[in-house]
Amino acid sequence: MTVETPMTQDAKQPVLEIRNLRIALPKGADRPYALDGLDLTLNPGEIVCMVGESGSGKSLTAGAVMRLLPEPHVRVAGGDIRFMGEDILSKSEGEMRDLRGNRISMIFQEPMTALNPQKTVGWQIDEVLKLHMQGSRAERRAHALEMLNRVHIPDPASAYNAYPHQISGGQRQRVMIAMALSLSPRLVIADEPTTALDVTTQLQILKLIRELQEQEDAGILFITHDFGVVAEIADQVIVLRQGEVVEQGPAAQVLNAPQHPYTKALIASVPDLTPPTAKPVSEKPVVLSGTHLKKTFAARGGLLTGKRKAVVAVKDLSFELHQGETLGVVGESGSGKTTVSRLVTRLLEADGGEVRLAGQDLLALAPRDMRRMRKDIQMVFQDPMASLNPRKRVVDLIAQGPIVHGEDPAKARERARELLQLVELSPAAANRFPHEFSGGQRQRIGIARALAMEPKVIVADEPVSALDVSVQAQVLKLLADLRDRMHLSLLFVTHDLRVAAQLCDSIIVMQKGEIVERGPPSAIFADPQHSYTRTLLSSIPGRHWTPPVSGTDAA
Amino acid sequence: MTTLDTDLRPPEPSRLIVFWHRYRRNRAALLGLVLFAIVVLMALTAGIVAPGDPLGRAGAPLTAPFTNPETPLGTDQLGRDIFAGLFYGARISLLIGVVATLISIAIGIVIGALSGYFGGWVDDVLMRITEAFQTIPNFVLLLTLVAILGSKIEWITLAIGIVSWTAPARMVRAEFMSLRHREFVDAARNLGVSNASLIFREILPNALPPIIVYASVIMALSILLESALAFLGLGDPNYASWGNMIGQGRAVLRTAWYCAAIPGIAIVLTVLSFSLLGEGLNDALNPRQKKT
Repeated sequence: MTVETPMTQDAKQPVLEIRNLRIALPKGADRPYALDGLDLTLNPGEIVCMVGESGSGKSLTAGAVMRLLPEPHVRVAGGDIRFMGEDILSKSEGEMRDLRGNRISMIFQEPMTALNPQKTVGWQIDEVLKLHMQGSRAERRAHALEMLNRVHIPDPASAYNAYPHQISGGQRQRVMIAMALSLSPRLVIADEPTTALDVTTQLQILKLIRELQEQEDAGILFITHDFGVVAEIADQVIVLRQGEVVEQGPAAQVLNAPQHPYTKALIASVPDLTPPTAKPVSEKPVVLSGTHLKKTFAARGGLLTGKRKAVVAVKDLSFELHQGETLGVVGESGSGKTTVSRLVTRLLEADGGEVRLAGQDLLALAPRDMRRMRKDIQMVFQDPMASLNPRKRVVDLIAQGPIVHGEDPAKARERARELLQLVELSPAAANRFPHEFSGGQRQRIGIARALAMEPKVIVADEPVSALDVSVQAQVLKLLADLRDRMHLSLLFVTHDLRVAAQLCDSIIVMQKGEIVERGPPSAIFADPQHSYTRTLLSSIPGRHWTPPVSGTDAA
Repeated sequence: MTTLDTDLRPPEPSRLIVFWHRYRRNRAALLGLVLFAIVVLMALTAGIVAPGDPLGRAGAPLTAPFTNPETPLGTDQLGRDIFAGLFYGARISLLIGVVATLISIAIGIVIGALSGYFGGWVDDVLMRITEAFQTIPNFVLLLTLVAILGSKIEWITLAIGIVSWTAPARMVRAEFMSLRHREFVDAARNLGVSNASLIFREILPNALPPIIVYASVIMALSILLESALAFLGLGDPNYASWGNMIGQGRAVLRTAWYCAAIPGIAIVLTVLSFSLLGEGLNDALNPRQKKT
C-alpha cells in the first residue's frame, strides 16, 4: 500500500477553516453576493451540515472550496479558505489538481450523471488512483476492491467490472463514496448525496458515510436541504438563507431550540411524523375506485438483442377513494405508484381491471367519451416546470380545460383570474409565462388549472417533491384547504411518509406493484403490520427527532 | 419570517426584446441581417432603380463595368444591363427562397409531426417514404421533376420545395418524439384536448425554434438549387434570375468574366446572409446551447 497518507498532521488542526467568505454573482443577478460573510470551522472527525433552500448559496460554497466555481462570472470576492492551515485561494491550478480527489474529495447528488456511463466502475476508480497513487496495476486494483468492500457492495469483484447502469442507484452512490474515500482524504464535501435516493437506501448511505468518516477521521462538509437528514447525521449545523448565515451551532441546539425566526420557520415546515388522530371511519360514498388494475411494460428489444424481460409495474391493485377524503399512495421508486396515477387518469392504458368514477368504468370508455369524462378527474403533476407549456400564458393555461369543454373563452379567462386568487397568486400573474414563476408558484398554477375543471377527483403525483420545505408546507396547506372547502377527493401519490402522515385519511403502501399494507395513517405509523412498512418507517431520516412546535413563536 | 412564495417577481421584459438582445450579441449575425436587408431592399426597389424590362437591350453588348454610367456594372453579350439584372434577380431568388422553404417546411412539419407523435406503424410508413426520397440525390430528383413539370418559375419553386422536405421532417419527428412524453402534453391531454390540438397547439410551438433555424439553411439551399438549374439552362427564361445570368455569362467567361462573376458574388453574399442569420437565430432561440 503506497497511498500517501498525510495523517501525521497535527490532529487538533481544523480540516477546513472559512473566514468571511464572499462569493460574487455576475451583474444583473438577483443579489450581488451568492454568499456573504460565511464563517465555518470543520474539525477532523466532524460533520458540518449546511442547510438551506434552493438558491441559498450552499452548493457554491462547495465550489469555492474545490476552486471549481464557474469563473469569472461567479468568483470569490473576499475572505479566506484554509485547508489544513494552507490558503486554498492562493494556490495555483496545478497545486489544486493535486489536492482535488486526493486530499479533498467530493460526493455528488446524482451518482448516475457523476459516473461516466461508458466506463466500468473499476476503470473509474482506477482513474482516480492512477492520478494520485504510485503503485502497480495490481496494487491499484486490490485497493479499489478493498474500497468497494468497505462501502459494503455485495460482490465487489463483479461491481468492479460492471457499468454504472448495471448497478442500482444506491450501489452507484456507494461507488461514488468509495471513489471519494479511496485516497483517505482529509476533507469530504458531500453535496446532497442522498437526495436522489429512496428512504431505505438513504439511511444506509448516511450510516455508511458516518461509519467511514469515523474510521478515517476525516472532516465532512455535508450539504443538504432536508432537516431529517441533518437530524440524522450532523454534529454542527449552519443555516443559510439567500447567502447569509442566519444560525450556526451544535446540531442538538439548532434542531431543538432554534433561535432565528427563519430557522424556526424552516423547522416548523418539516411535517410531523405523528399523524393527527384518525377521523371516524368514513360513511361517505365511494367516488373513485380501482379494481384488479394491471400494467406490464413490455420492453421492446433491439433488432439483434431480442426481447428483454417485461416489467410488471402494477399487479392486481384495488382501492377505494371516498368523497372528500385523501388516499395516499406511498412507496419507493419502482413501486408502481406513479403508474397507478397514470392508469387512473388513463394517460396510460391499463392491461386489465376497472377504474370507476361515479359509477362509470373509465377504462371501457371510447376515446371521445373519455375526453368528456376527463373534466371530473384532474391531475396535479410532479414537476411544475415540465407540466406547464412554456409557450402559453398563465391565463390561457388555466382556461384551456374549460374552453376545450365548450366554455365561452372570455368567461373561462375571467374564471381563471379568480382561480389565481383562490390559489393565492396575484391576478397580475395571469399574463405571464410559466418561467417567470418560482417552483411553488408554478405548482399553484398547476393546481388552479386542475380546479378550473371543477373536478370530482384530483390525482396529485408527488406534487411537492420538487419544492423547498417551506414552500412545500405552504402548497400542502393550500391543497388541504381547497380539498375541504370544495369537497374534493384526493388521490395523493408520494414517497414522503412525513407528508403522507399529515395529509392523508388513509394510506396504501406499495412495493413492487403490489399493496402490502393499507389503513389510516395513525394505525400504520403506530403499528405497521408488514415488514416492508416497518423498514420504510424506520428509514425515515430524523425519525427520532420531533421538530419543536413553534406555536409560541412571537416573531 | 420566511417570505411567502406567492410574492411575484418583477415582470420580465417581453420575449421580443429578450430575443433581440440575444440576437444582437452575435456580430456575424448582425452582418447577416444587414446583408439580408440589402437583398430585400434590392428586390423591393428594382422597379424604381432600374425601370423597364431587365431583359431588354440597354447598351452595347459586353460593356465592361464602371465604363458607362448608364450601365454601371456593364452589360452582357446581348447588351442587357447587369445592374438591373442583379436587382430583378434578387426578387426571383427571394421568391424562390421563401416559397420553396415554406413548401418544404410545411410538408416536413406534417410528416414529421404525425410520425413523431403517433409512432408505431404510422411512423414506420412515413419514415420509409422519407427514406425513399432521401436515397435519391436532391439535384437528380429536381432535374427529373423540372423535366416533367416544365421550366416555369412556379413549377421550379414547387419542385425545390418537394426535394428538400426530408431533413425538416426528420428534425420535426425527433423534436416531437422527445416532447410528446413531457408532462405538459400529458397535462393537456388530461384536460381532454384532442390529438390535433395537442400536435399543433401544444407541441408544435415548442418544436419550432430549431425548425426556424433550419429554415434559413433551406432558404440558402433553394437559392443555390435554382441557380444550378438556371446554370444548366433549365431556369425560367422569362425572368432575370442570378442563375440565368451566370448560365449565360458562362459562354463569354474568358472574354467578359464579369458577366458571370457579378451575379455569382450576389449569390454568395445572399447565401452567406442566410447562414449568418440562421446562426444568430440559433443563438437567440436556443440560448441554453451556448454559455452566456
